[in-house]
Amino acid sequence: MAVPGTFLTPILLLVCGLSPCLAAAHSPPGVECVLFNEEYMTCTWGSRETLTANYSLYYWYENRSPVVECKHYLQDQGISVGCHFNQSEIIQFQSFRVLVNASLGGRTLEIPSERMELQDLVKPEAPVNLTIRNTSSNQLELTWNSPYPKAHCLEHAVKYKSNKDTSWTEHRVKGDIFSFPSVDYEKYYTFYVRSKINSYCGNTQLWSEWSVPVVWGSNSTSKDAAEEQLHWFWIHTVLIPVASCLLLLVLVVLLVRMERVWVILMPRIPNPSKNFDELFITHNGNFQEWAGVPKDVMESFKPNYSENICYVSELPPKDMYEPLWENSNY
Amino acid sequence: MERMIIFCMLFFCSSMALTAAPHKIAKYKQLLKTITRLETTVKDKDVELLHTPENPADGCLFTAVTCFHKGTLKLQPENNQVHSTFTQTIKVLRRFTISDPGKHCESSCESYEKKTPKEFLKSFAKLIKQVIR
Repeated sequence: MAVPGTFLTPILLLVCGLSPCLAAAHSPPGVECVLFNEEYMTCTWGSRETLTANYSLYYWYENRSPVVECKHYLQDQGISVGCHFNQSEIIQFQSFRVLVNASLGGRTLEIPSERMELQDLVKPEAPVNLTIRNTSSNQLELTWNSPYPKAHCLEHAVKYKSNKDTSWTEHRVKGDIFSFPSVDYEKYYTFYVRSKINSYCGNTQLWSEWSVPVVWGSNSTSKDAAEEQLHWFWIHTVLIPVASCLLLLVLVVLLVRMERVWVILMPRIPNPSKNFDELFITHNGNFQEWAGVPKDVMESFKPNYSENICYVSELPPKDMYEPLWENSNY
Repeated sequence: MERMIIFCMLFFCSSMALTAAPHKIAKYKQLLKTITRLETTVKDKDVELLHTPENPADGCLFTAVTCFHKGTLKLQPENNQVHSTFTQTIKVLRRFTISDPGKHCESSCESYEKKTPKEFLKSFAKLIKQVIR
């Protein structure tokens, strides 16, 4: 029994080797289906670069419909890469199953896919009619319409940027209105909006495409703005410093050369000692001589008589002795 | 003439009943939030499996909701910490009612497959999303 086993093993290996080869070389990465605005659906399983076999798709709704082949294939250079479904072929909230048959050289490989819930694969169309309204006190109000019929099932995202910003700012919005709080009238703003089915109607991460943008603000074109900026740059960075330096230089030169100006700015502190040079040096401290007192006035102050010194002393009063005398008796 | 008037009135009233009024949508949205909150607090292992309606037909909406209602009675909290949140959420859930349209549904509650509580709640959420749509 070992002999047939030895023959069987390589055959098995060959067959087992071939089918993954068929699968690996030509297998689609998985079937991806997207419902566009609930109007039509496309299920794709690859692109021309990765597929080489002949593919056919079969679909059914669990416990509902029989297995049906795709009626409208999407072709890319002769190879079926996807299937297009009309609105009548789409049933949401029913488990959707898909089976893709790959055939190459007479051999067929079945590639099943997982169960899909179509309500979780809806991609709404991008919002339209974006309009901006100027409300009171520097506020802007952005409104839009959506081609998707059920507005209560949508949530939106707004992204905007001014001409002075470097990156986009994104905000999530539940309704159809976005209020932009503080707007700068000198900036130029651009707004985009996109939509997604909200969690009340499905479980999806498929955002729509960004809408056509809407702009607002003073569009001083970039060329003018750049020129104006250059103009200001020259004034602020070159002209003003140079002029200030020149002015400073002129003032310094003036100060140094013109003593009239120097004296006004830096007045001399009066030094009275010089006024008295004559008194101390010439007249040797003789004030009367320096002051110019006449000689006969000086003579008149000198006395022309002599006077003896008279010594005067004071006697103490009499009553002071008596108490002393009385005390000494006792 | 009178029959004509009565018929027109009936027609008008039934057409109004078909479209969900905006306050009803708010009610369903609130219910969906409640179910999502409950999913995090419910015990999923070693519990009884529950009949879970999957993709009910349009006429079987009332039956499906009744089935979900019955199932919520058997749910249990995961641990003591989430017990109060669980109790509050279950109260809100049980207050939700849907009017019987009187349509006959072929599937009964027991005909649906049994699943774990978390999958049960996920299917319930899916049903409510279908109603909101």
